[in-house]
Amino acid sequence: MSERGTIRVDQFLPHPPAKVWRALTDPDLIARWLMQTDFVPVVGHRFTFRTDPRPGFDGIVRCEVLDLDPQRLLRWSWRGGSLDTVVTWTLLAEGRGTRLFLEHSGFDPDDPLQQRTYALLDGGWRSHVWRRLTKVLDAPPS
Amino acid sequence: MSESDVFAALANPTRRELLRLLRDGGQQPVQRLADHFDMRRPSLSEHLKVLKEAGLVTERPVGRQRLYALRPEPLREVADWLSPYEAYWRGRLGALRDVLDELDDE
Repeated sequence: MSERGTIRVDQFLPHPPAKVWRALTDPDLIARWLMQTDFVPVVGHRFTFRTDPRPGFDGIVRCEVLDLDPQRLLRWSWRGGSLDTVVTWTLLAEGRGTRLFLEHSGFDPDDPLQQRTYALLDGGWRSHVWRRLTKVLDAPPS
Repeated sequence: MSESDVFAALANPTRRELLRLLRDGGQQPVQRLADHFDMRRPSLSEHLKVLKEAGLVTERPVGRQRLYALRPEPLREVADWLSPYEAYWRGRLGALRDVLDELDDE
């Protein structure tokens, strides 16, 4: 995290912004890299992402399209489990491809941090970290 | 103090147990910590020294005793590094890249 409560990740994709935009806004394509969804690219549209439920998380992320600028910016709210957050995608043409920026903001910086610190001290931290990292690659943390 | 010092300090079960005792019991003298371990004082002092150098504990002389206390700031950095959502999104971006690679250009 570059600042408390916000996660920023970016990646270069060797594909033009128009194509990246398709993968970000076509629900059939979104399902292939994120989750099942009834997303529609219209500001104000309410939609969900669905995955397997887990303790403390019913498997449903409730969202609303907050902002949309085709091939440039897409912002949706992200509410699931104990989270009430905002996800912002920004696309920037770079060479023959696109740099895609993701900002996930609105985390409570104290509560989950505290829990992670405790978990870290209590477990055999190496195996704990690996379990966690491999698990989260497939399902959104709640 | 570097990040690798913190990770190295945490990679030892005795040192993690020391941190846990300081977390749960607050600051305390080395003798009270030593009561929890079946090892000689010098070995324990060596572990405390590693934790101190990693910035994970502080040491303060009070009278004839030395009081040790947990300093959690470096753990916050580790926790940030472990941020599960960051790992999640990196995984998803990798999957997005795969989808794009398979997708026809239009």
